[in-house]
Amino acid sequence: MNVSSEKVQDYLVINVEGRLDTTQSDSFEKQVMEMLTGDDKKVILDCEGLNYISSSGLRVFLIMQKKMAAEGGELRLCNLQPSIKEIFDMSGFSMIFTIHDDRDAALNA
Amino acid sequence: MIKKNSLSFRIIKRVLTFTTLMFLLVLSLFYYFARNSIEESARENAIHIADNAVAKIEQELQPMEKIPEVVAGLMEIDPPHEDSLFLLVETILEKNQNVSGAAIAFEPNFFPDKGLYYSPYAYRDGDRIHSFSLGDENYEYFYMDWYLIPKMLDTAYWTEPYYDEGGGEMLMSTYSVPFYMRRDGERVFAGIATVDVSLDWLTETVAEIEIFETGYAFMLSRNGVAVTYPRREFIMNESLFSMAAERDSELLREIGQDMIAGNSQFREHGMNDTGRFWIYYTPLPSSGWSIGVVYPDAEMFAALRSITTLMIILVLGGLIVLTILTVQIVNRISAPLSQFSNSARLVAEGNFDVKLPKIRKTLELRELHDAFSHMQEELAEYVVNLKETTAAKEKIESELRIAREIQLAMIPHSFPPYPDLPQVDLYAVLRSAREVGGDLYDFFVVDQDKFVFAIGDVSGKGVPASLFMAVTRTLLRTIADKEQSPSKIMAALNKSLSFNNESNMFVTFFLGVMNLKTGQLSYVNAGHNPPVLISKTKETKMFEPAKTIPLGLYEEFEYPEHSMTLEPGDKLFSYTDGVTEAENVRDDLFDEDRMLKVLEENKDKSPKDLINVMMHAIEAHVQDHPQSDDITMMTVSFKGLDHGNTQNKADE
Repeated sequence: MNVSSEKVQDYLVINVEGRLDTTQSDSFEKQVMEMLTGDDKKVILDCEGLNYISSSGLRVFLIMQKKMAAEGGELRLCNLQPSIKEIFDMSGFSMIFTIHDDRDAALNA
Repeated sequence: MIKKNSLSFRIIKRVLTFTTLMFLLVLSLFYYFARNSIEESARENAIHIADNAVAKIEQELQPMEKIPEVVAGLMEIDPPHEDSLFLLVETILEKNQNVSGAAIAFEPNFFPDKGLYYSPYAYRDGDRIHSFSLGDENYEYFYMDWYLIPKMLDTAYWTEPYYDEGGGEMLMSTYSVPFYMRRDGERVFAGIATVDVSLDWLTETVAEIEIFETGYAFMLSRNGVAVTYPRREFIMNESLFSMAAERDSELLREIGQDMIAGNSQFREHGMNDTGRFWIYYTPLPSSGWSIGVVYPDAEMFAALRSITTLMIILVLGGLIVLTILTVQIVNRISAPLSQFSNSARLVAEGNFDVKLPKIRKTLELRELHDAFSHMQEELAEYVVNLKETTAAKEKIESELRIAREIQLAMIPHSFPPYPDLPQVDLYAVLRSAREVGGDLYDFFVVDQDKFVFAIGDVSGKGVPASLFMAVTRTLLRTIADKEQSPSKIMAALNKSLSFNNESNMFVTFFLGVMNLKTGQLSYVNAGHNPPVLISKTKETKMFEPAKTIPLGLYEEFEYPEHSMTLEPGDKLFSYTDGVTEAENVRDDLFDEDRMLKVLEENKDKSPKDLINVMMHAIEAHVQDHPQSDDITMMTVSFKGLDHGNTQNKADE
């Protein structure tokens, strides 16, 4: 699992790659929480390189979403691989998150 | 004992090999140069000795030579009367003690009145000197070598040495000088003037030359006959050529030839009876005889050999001492090493207080000692920590195991659960992974004909998940007592779970309520894997994905309820993602397709058999790969109203 962030226009784009399973989710939570300082109101989570997510990983996504909502910001997800999208659909998380097909769509929505 | 692979053996081997090679090299060089220098000095010494001897002999012989030369001069310039010649030769003997005989021999019939032979000759008889005229028909002197050779060659000549058989058995040589006289105004050859010289002094002079113990000098005549030789019986009896023939020595013959040719040389003489020899030879200028000086090789190089032997002994002694010292040093170093390895073995067995060898001097070993004792302390400390940690961990693990047992005890696991409810058959299994997980299932009957069943999966693992699961299950039972419809139960459950849910944990949950009379099934799926409907009449198929969020996220969320009517014999297979995501070593998931295939192929089996087949299929897929997540499966089979009615009738 690999997390990095970059600034694109006025968005903070967080790239997550690899497997986000139970053992990795704590470290992932710590890393993204450091990135979400509260200064960025618009955050995009680019999941292009994410090829597995467990329920613990979903929980971290949820925490991010709640945090952004609490701060009056917005979290967008993009580039979900089909298997990840399926999990989001099945678990109903598609309803909670704003999901875009690709980064351009997320930036321009 | 020194073992072959031991440090000491290897060090000794290398040190000894190197020093031995060095010593051999030094010794060889020393021997080579010393030998050359000894050979050179022996050569110089031999030349010196021989030249001295030559000079000494010449010094004796030259005055002898003067006598007949003076006589010859006298005869030519101012010859005395032939009769007074006897007095002359007698006077010569009187004046020269070394001369044992002297003659003035004339050509045959030189003085007509004297007859054919005329040769005034003086000789010694004890202390007295006699004279007479040599020559008669028995001794025709003008045919003798001493007369004929100098006459023919017209030069002075030393005869070959000979034994004077007449007077005193002495070794003699005669020096002959031709002389001329005036006759009728013409210079004509008149005869030969001679002196006889004893060579005994010569033998002594040469015999006096001492060379080491067995070295010697000898003299050869022009014919190679031994004039002087250490073995007296050889004198005049043996020549170098006869000796060469006797010994079959080509080298000796060659040396003899070279000697009588009048050459000087220092060379190897070859083998003799007593070993190798060196020889120097040089000619006597006057007589053409040759003197040889013989050096025994063994004695020439005796000093060198004894020095070399001594050096070899010293070197061997040195090597032995070096070996002993090396062994001691290496042992002093390696003994602590083997003690260290013993200590290490003891430490490895857990004895951290083991004593270390005492190191006083060697710096490297002292460092090893310090490092070792540091390791000892650290290990002891580490093990204490480890014991504490392990104890703590074991405590936690045992508590977790108890927690797990309590958790598992909360879910029903007696099958079949309702022998008195023939309308429904059910089997469920929860196989936990090593770590406590958050899977759960539950079922119970409400109001006699409402069968409630649920399956869920809490996010994450460990104690938090298991606690959340326990809460969920407890709430479900409590709520289901009051609420009837699945959506209401779910809403209430969600509200309770979401309340103050700071940890943001959630649980995917499928809840079904089956009317045992009608077969009507109402259900709500909160983000859980969709169950599979197995029907005799229809294709085995998954439910539509719920597309609703799990429980515990938003308090006011409303969960939509769905319903359908089950045919008798229909089965509902529900599961958690531990089934579909069971991984093998190659990270291949068991996946939904495999699961559906197994279900389709075994659609007629009872819930229990179906789940067992499925579990075997999963095991076959996963093989030895450790289970990472709880595997939970539950199959509910609706047997139908008729069955129940029949049962009821039979009861009546």
